[in-house]
Amino acid sequence: MTIKMISHEDLAALVAELIAADTRVIAPVQAKENPAATDYKRIQRFEDATLGFLPRRSLKEFLLPQSEVLLRFQQHKGEVKLEEVPLTPPKQVILGAKPCDAAGLDILDKVMNWDYRDELWFARREATTIVSLLCPGLDCSCFCTAVGVGPDSTRGSDVMLIPMEGGYLAQIVTEKGEALLGSRAQEVTDSSLMAKAEELRQAARKKVEQNLPVVPAEMPDWLANNFGHAYWQTVALRCHGCGACASICPTCHCFDIADERDGVEGGVRRRNWDSCQTGKFTVHASGHNPRNTQNERFRQRVMHKFSIYPLRFGDLLCTGCGRCVRICPAGMNLPEIVGQLMELAGKEPQGSGQ
Amino acid sequence: MNEMRELAAKLLTEGTVKVVIGYEEGPAGVRPAFVTDPAKADTLIFDSRCVQNLAVYLNPRRSDVAKLGKLAIVVKGCDAKAVAGLVREHQVKREDLVIIGVRCGGVVRCADMAAELTADTVADRCQDCEVREPKLYDYLVLPLPPPPPKSTRREDKMAELAKMTAEERWAYWSEQLERCIRCNACREVCPMCFCVQCVADKSQPQWIPTSPTLQGNVMWQMTRVLHQAGRCVDCQECERACPADIPLGLLNRHVAQNVEKRFDYKASDDPSVAAPMGEYRTDDDEEFII
Repeated sequence: MTIKMISHEDLAALVAELIAADTRVIAPVQAKENPAATDYKRIQRFEDATLGFLPRRSLKEFLLPQSEVLLRFQQHKGEVKLEEVPLTPPKQVILGAKPCDAAGLDILDKVMNWDYRDELWFARREATTIVSLLCPGLDCSCFCTAVGVGPDSTRGSDVMLIPMEGGYLAQIVTEKGEALLGSRAQEVTDSSLMAKAEELRQAARKKVEQNLPVVPAEMPDWLANNFGHAYWQTVALRCHGCGACASICPTCHCFDIADERDGVEGGVRRRNWDSCQTGKFTVHASGHNPRNTQNERFRQRVMHKFSIYPLRFGDLLCTGCGRCVRICPAGMNLPEIVGQLMELAGKEPQGSGQ
Repeated sequence: MNEMRELAAKLLTEGTVKVVIGYEEGPAGVRPAFVTDPAKADTLIFDSRCVQNLAVYLNPRRSDVAKLGKLAIVVKGCDAKAVAGLVREHQVKREDLVIIGVRCGGVVRCADMAAELTADTVADRCQDCEVREPKLYDYLVLPLPPPPPKSTRREDKMAELAKMTAEERWAYWSEQLERCIRCNACREVCPMCFCVQCVADKSQPQWIPTSPTLQGNVMWQMTRVLHQAGRCVDCQECERACPADIPLGLLNRHVAQNVEKRFDYKASDDPSVAAPMGEYRTDDDEEFII
C-alpha cells in the first residue's frame, strides 16, 4: 500500500484543474434548505465542498440515477423505432466519499454483473474515480464495523484521504487513484504521520465498534432457516412502509421500469428507483400481493441484506452507514433489529424453522 | 408519567385492550411504541419530543396493528383531530378505541431533538394551540405543562410566499419539488391518507407519472394537498417525514387557510362536526364553479 501526502493547496489546485477540464467533481455540499444537512453535489469550486459531513443520500445516485432514460421510442403507423441512449457517461471524481458509500459500490458490482451485465452501471463505474475520506465515526446509528466495512475501509475507493495538519495523507488503493493525484502527492518521509493516521483509524473504529458487535458468518444461514420465526410477526409495527430508507441506502438497488409518453407518437422508457418497503412493489396483476403486510415487507429488507445477498454473492448488502436509522420517521432501527436477531441466533442456533 | 403507565398497565391487565400505542425512548430518539405486556408499560413516556401523530396506526391499512386486537392510543390534542377525522370518515369506530388523552405543552419539530422547547425548535403547529388539553378522550392524563414558546417561523414564510409574484412562487416551489424522490413518505405517515388504491399507484391509466421528475412531482403534491383540503389536521408529519426536506406543511397550511376562509371550517377534534368536503350545504360558496 502506497501512502503519500497532498497539501490543501495542491488538492484545491487539482480540483480546479479537473473542473476546468470538464470533469464532474462531486462532493458533500451544505444543503440550501437545511444548513444542518449535506448532499453529494457537483461543485464548481473546491471551497464549496464540506468534506467530512455525511450526505443525506448515498453516493449511488451518481452510478444508478434516481431516474434514467433507457431508450426512446417512436411509433408511426404500426412501426416502432427504438433509439438506445449513448453509453458515454462524463468523467467524474467523487471527492470526500464516505467509506460506507464507496464500499456500497463495490458490493453492488456483483449483482450488476450477475445474470445480466448492467452496461450503464459499469460505464459509469469506469468513468468514476472515488476519493474517500477517513470517517471519524459519527453517532450511535453508525455500525459499519459490524458488517465488515469500517470507517477506515478502503473498499471501493481509488484513494483514501486521511486529514492531517496542512493537508491529507493519501492512501493509494488503485492505479486510477494514483493517476488522479499524480505528482501533486509526495512520498511521505515523516513516520510520525503514519503513526498519527493509525491512531485516527483506531479511534474511529473504536467509536463505531461499541454500537454493534460483528455480524457472525452464520447469520445468513440462520436467517434463511428462520423465515417463519415469531420475531418477524411484530418486527415492523411502527414502520410506515414509505421506503425512505431504501432511497438513501448505499446498497438498495431495486428499480422499476416505466414507459412515459412524450406526445402522441413517442416516448421514453425510464428506470426509476423502487423499494420493497412499499405495498405496491409485489402486487401481482391479479391483485394478489405475496407480501401483503409491513412485517413481511420489512423481513424482506432484512433478509435481502443479511441472508439472500450474502448467500449468493458472499457480501452483506449493508455497509452500516446508519442512514436508514437517521431518516426513519417512525424510529425503525436496523442495527437494533440485527442485534436482536444476533441474540436470537445465539440463543436458538436452530431457531424455530419454517 | 406514572399516571399514564399505571393506566396502560391496568388496561392491559384487565384485558380492556390488547395493545397500548404510545411513545418510548428509542436508541436514536423518541419513537412510537406498541406495548402488549403490562410489565412493559413503564417504557411509555410523554414529553415535548413526542412529535409523531400516532393516529396513523388506526388507519385500516395498518393490518399488522389491527391484528393485535383492541387498542388504546395515546393522543395529544392535535392528534385527536386525526382520530376524529378517521371516525368522521368511517375508517374506525369510536367505540373500538380507548383514547388516552395527554395534556401537552408543545412539541419539538423532530423526535431526535433535545426536549427543551425554544422558538427555533418548537413545532409550527404548536402556535396558538387551542387543544393543549384534548377534548376527545376516554382518559385524560398528565398535568398541563406551560404553553410553548412563540415562533413566527411558519407565518413569516407564508407571508414571504404570499408576497411573491406567481413566477417567483413557481420558481420557489419548482426548486423545492425538484428534490422529491417520490418515496411517498408524505403519504404513508399521513393519518388521513387511507385510500386502498391511491391515485398515485394507479397504472391504468397512469394519472401521475412515477418518475421523480418535476412534472410528476408537482402533480403528485398538488393531488395530495388538494385531497387533504378540509381533512388535513396540520400535524405536519408529511413535512417531518420528507427525506428531501421539502416544506410540505406550507402547502397544506395554504389550503387549510383557504378552506377556513371559504367554509368557516378548521380541522376539528369533534367527530360529529361535518367537514366541508363531507357534506352538502345549499349555502356553500360556489363562485369557483360558476
